[in-house]
Amino acid sequence: MWLEDAERLRKQDLMLRLPMVNTAGTLGFAPNPRKMPFLDNLGAFITNPISRRRRAPAGNRCSLPFEGGFLLHTGLQNPGISRAITLHKARWAGAPLPVIVHLLVETPDTLAEMVRKLEGLENILAIELGLPPLCDPDTLSAFVEAAYGELPAIVCLGLEQTPALLDTLERLAPSAVHITPPRGALPEDDDRIISGRLFGPAIYPIMLHTISAVVKTGLPVISSGGVMTRQEVDALLHLGVMAVGLGSVLWHVDQGCLFVK
Amino acid sequence: MTVPLTGKLTEVFQFGSEKAGVLDISGKHWPAPGQYLACQNPADPSGALITPLFKVIGIHDRLCVSPLPARWQPGDVLVFQPPQGQGFTLPAHVRRMALFAFEVSPARLLTLIEIASTQNADIALFCEPAPSKDILLSIPSMIEIADSASLLGNLDWPEYLAIDLAWQDLDRLSALFGDQGSRLEGQVLLRTAMPCRGMGECGVCSVKTRRGWRFVCSHGPVFDLSEVLNVA
Repeated sequence: MWLEDAERLRKQDLMLRLPMVNTAGTLGFAPNPRKMPFLDNLGAFITNPISRRRRAPAGNRCSLPFEGGFLLHTGLQNPGISRAITLHKARWAGAPLPVIVHLLVETPDTLAEMVRKLEGLENILAIELGLPPLCDPDTLSAFVEAAYGELPAIVCLGLEQTPALLDTLERLAPSAVHITPPRGALPEDDDRIISGRLFGPAIYPIMLHTISAVVKTGLPVISSGGVMTRQEVDALLHLGVMAVGLGSVLWHVDQGCLFVK
Repeated sequence: MTVPLTGKLTEVFQFGSEKAGVLDISGKHWPAPGQYLACQNPADPSGALITPLFKVIGIHDRLCVSPLPARWQPGDVLVFQPPQGQGFTLPAHVRRMALFAFEVSPARLLTLIEIASTQNADIALFCEPAPSKDILLSIPSMIEIADSASLLGNLDWPEYLAIDLAWQDLDRLSALFGDQGSRLEGQVLLRTAMPCRGMGECGVCSVKTRRGWRFVCSHGPVFDLSEVLNVA
């Protein structure tokens, strides 16, 4: 049977074997089956964020708990794209599941350079574009254009960026959109305000509310944020997301019934 | 999927500035001094983070651990991973051991007493501030106790120096020891949050060493002094 032209699979379409992935920043730069017994339940492994050049950790790195979750401020330490490929390409190639490389986007030119370095590597399923916090629609368009190549591109944006960029995303139609937990801020002991990504169950109701609007665009959606239970996974899948991203629950000693079907 | 280990908190008590407890688990899962148990308490709904628990000095033949979150109660059943991380390794030749608690409770360092005693080592504890009364009562009388100024005046005494401090204070520690720091034999236990417990290389516990950036959760939490002192 021939597919209609409109339904023909584009080369950049993203296909996941299973509807769960990890969120960038939760499982390191390469899968480690010895440490991560749950890998069989994931449709892909998303790497920690990787920038063009090496990044050192933030001087005031910390994790600040609050009722219902915690804030993580790290500086996104990573070895840079060239070194990351050298260090991890063998483990990516031999991984028991496909790998999505999360790229920290700075400029369209440097993004295109990073994407080219990843093309041709074994077992890379897609790239994920981690947008800068103040990304506007024009810049987003330039990034997606720069990322266009052999690998599907997933646009990864924080919950707080969604309202401003959703119309543009609908027009650009990337391979998928990954909505991640919002950034937040908390006072430290010395009353300095620390900003960072928020994790924990308190995030889930906000995510669920936003995702129900995003799926209506028809874009393939991956939703991360606050998922702790199988029931929460199922609710997102029922809404129509392509996959559910798991974050800090993967750091738990016991994930409970999360992976029980 | 592997079944996580479980153990019951049979007692909870205040121990110096920290909340501690007795954890009833098999002896083969007891952490060595400086190692930690990554623990989770299903009874604590606020527990979005795992809690690293360290062995502290306490009741003989029972595992005392600290620091417990405020909400954890006697009777809570914890799920935990086997002991993680690099603990203290006291060289067999050492006969003079100094323990230095730098603005933290000395309770974790004091677990080294048992090991040092088996090799007939003399032990001295240096603290700033002085230990609370309940901790003092748990320290054997053979242990000398003094303040940090006394340690600085006698840095040539210990053959092995074990330190406990917050990672943010590494620079202050380097400044405190000055040039003598490079000649010290010993190890330091770095206190920091370890939210990903070595799974995610999240970077919260990154520490700069002579061999580059290392993670306290997986490469530590105990490091050789020569690795971390006076690293710009």
